[in-house]
Amino acid sequence: MPYLVLDRLTKRFGPWVAVDNMSLTVEKGELVSLLGPSGCGKTTTLQMIAGFLDPSAGRVTLDGADLLAKKPNERGLGIVFQSYALFPHMTAAENVAFGLEMRGIPRADRDRMVRDALQLVGLGAFGDRYPRRMSGGQQQRVALARAMVIKPSLLLLDEPLSNLDAKMREEMQIELRRIQRSVGTTMILVTHDQAEAMALSDRVVIMNKGRVEQVAAPQDAYDNPASAFVANFLGRTNLLQGVVRRDGAGRRIDVAGTAWPVAAELPDGPGLLTVRPEKVRFVDGGGVPGLVRARVFQGTQWLFEIRTEAGDLTVIRQHDGQTLPAENEPVMLGWRAEDMRVMAGEA
Amino acid sequence: MNRNGPVALVFHTLFLAFLLAPILVVCVVAFTSQGYLSLPTEGLSLRWFKAIGDNPEFARAFRDSLLLGAVSSTIAVAFSVPAALAIARHQFRGREAITALFLSPLMVPHIVLGIAFLRFFTQIGLGGTFAGLVLSHVVIILPFALRLILAASTGMDRSIENAAASLGATSWTTFRRVTLPLILPGVASGWVLAFINSFDEVTMTVFIASPETTTLPVRLFLYIQDNIDPLVAAVSASLIFMTVAAMLVLDRLYGLERLLVGRGQE
Repeated sequence: MPYLVLDRLTKRFGPWVAVDNMSLTVEKGELVSLLGPSGCGKTTTLQMIAGFLDPSAGRVTLDGADLLAKKPNERGLGIVFQSYALFPHMTAAENVAFGLEMRGIPRADRDRMVRDALQLVGLGAFGDRYPRRMSGGQQQRVALARAMVIKPSLLLLDEPLSNLDAKMREEMQIELRRIQRSVGTTMILVTHDQAEAMALSDRVVIMNKGRVEQVAAPQDAYDNPASAFVANFLGRTNLLQGVVRRDGAGRRIDVAGTAWPVAAELPDGPGLLTVRPEKVRFVDGGGVPGLVRARVFQGTQWLFEIRTEAGDLTVIRQHDGQTLPAENEPVMLGWRAEDMRVMAGEA
Repeated sequence: MNRNGPVALVFHTLFLAFLLAPILVVCVVAFTSQGYLSLPTEGLSLRWFKAIGDNPEFARAFRDSLLLGAVSSTIAVAFSVPAALAIARHQFRGREAITALFLSPLMVPHIVLGIAFLRFFTQIGLGGTFAGLVLSHVVIILPFALRLILAASTGMDRSIENAAASLGATSWTTFRRVTLPLILPGVASGWVLAFINSFDEVTMTVFIASPETTTLPVRLFLYIQDNIDPLVAAVSASLIFMTVAAMLVLDRLYGLERLLVGRGQE
């Protein structure tokens, strides 16, 4: 039985639909990311689960109980805010102790639990510090400890790493994953950073304009994007316009004079072929002809801009000593049929 | 770290001298032994300070002023905190109008308010009462308290209160443990500013005060209409000394900067 259930959750602000009929189930112990560009409804969804916003329609149940019937302070959820939202007039230890105090836990137990929680996030020696005397990463850890110490039935993380620099973010990602493994808390992570979502999540929910585009394991979503939006949002991709038709050998898509087999059940007509830049190779024949417009050296790899009849393509090749085409050189592009996906195009 | 050039230094010195000179003059004049306001004074004496004791109506007016200021600032602050929180964080119909209404006493001349309150209080039977004074003072000092508390509430991160709620705090606990401590510098400075404005008010109060309940500034004003002697200077000097003493004590007990600016919490 699923642990957290969002059932046709909808939020309207006047005529604007922020979250549109969203349904999702999360298993106990899972880490699920809500991923999408700003304005896609991911934070609104989180706020509805937390109780800071009332849904216009739909239901939320946690462990079988109706969550919407409870006030935010009765839901028992842990929340890590984008701004950390630490209490500035309390020390780190007082911040962490606040939730325990609200639960009426006796002083001695409280002190021990606060110590353990700060230890868990690697801040054992910082209990007496005020938040403003701590770095962003340390504040972030205090916020995490404060949310975890109440042993929440569900931990909500709202862009928790977006205010950290790149190096710190990577460290915190590993830390978060480690804590999640060791404690086993069910977590919902809201982020616009696809790399973060893919690194941390058991499953990602890709949202666009208030709707769910795809729910899948990160690698599945990357390899088998359900829509052009997903393909584009999860890393770079190439989108090529073509025509789907059926002949004796099966269903095929014509792109710039070449035909590629189509596995999916698609109607005849306009189609969209997507293939990741790192999956495109330079071939000797039988590929899509093009011209190298630009090439950029990026250390571990080369980035190519190739102009073809079907549109511009980005190609990424490893910098591993093989000879690569120069700028303004005509080339042939090919890829393995299993590395491409075909979707119905817009007519 | 002296970044001021000689011209700037001279300018600042003159400016400070201009600000402080009247206060200094009053303090010096208060110690005169003459029977009139004189500077430079011929002899030093405490006779005018002694004269304050012979006029008990000054002490009574001083007590009334303190009480009036304290009561009306407290009422104004108690009213401003919920008003400021509502205005700062909610969008509702008439929000702008309500803000403008609360701040409007700043724009009405006090003399107009004085005449209006005089007529109104006589009508409803509050003429010449302490309650009437408190009511009218709350009206004129409300904008000062509200402005400062509003500034403190507007800058507050809403998610801090959400965090408290998510940790299990009821809305009252959140207010008491989180919201109020965070806007406390605004509340404290709002109270002080309101108190000073109440204590200082003459123009309106002169219409409303009665011989039984009158404030110190009004008493001084009425006194110098008939007599020009250093007694008023002595009263003023005493006020200045008491203010300085109060500031020193407050600073020692709580730290003025912490109370009014909200820094240095550790």
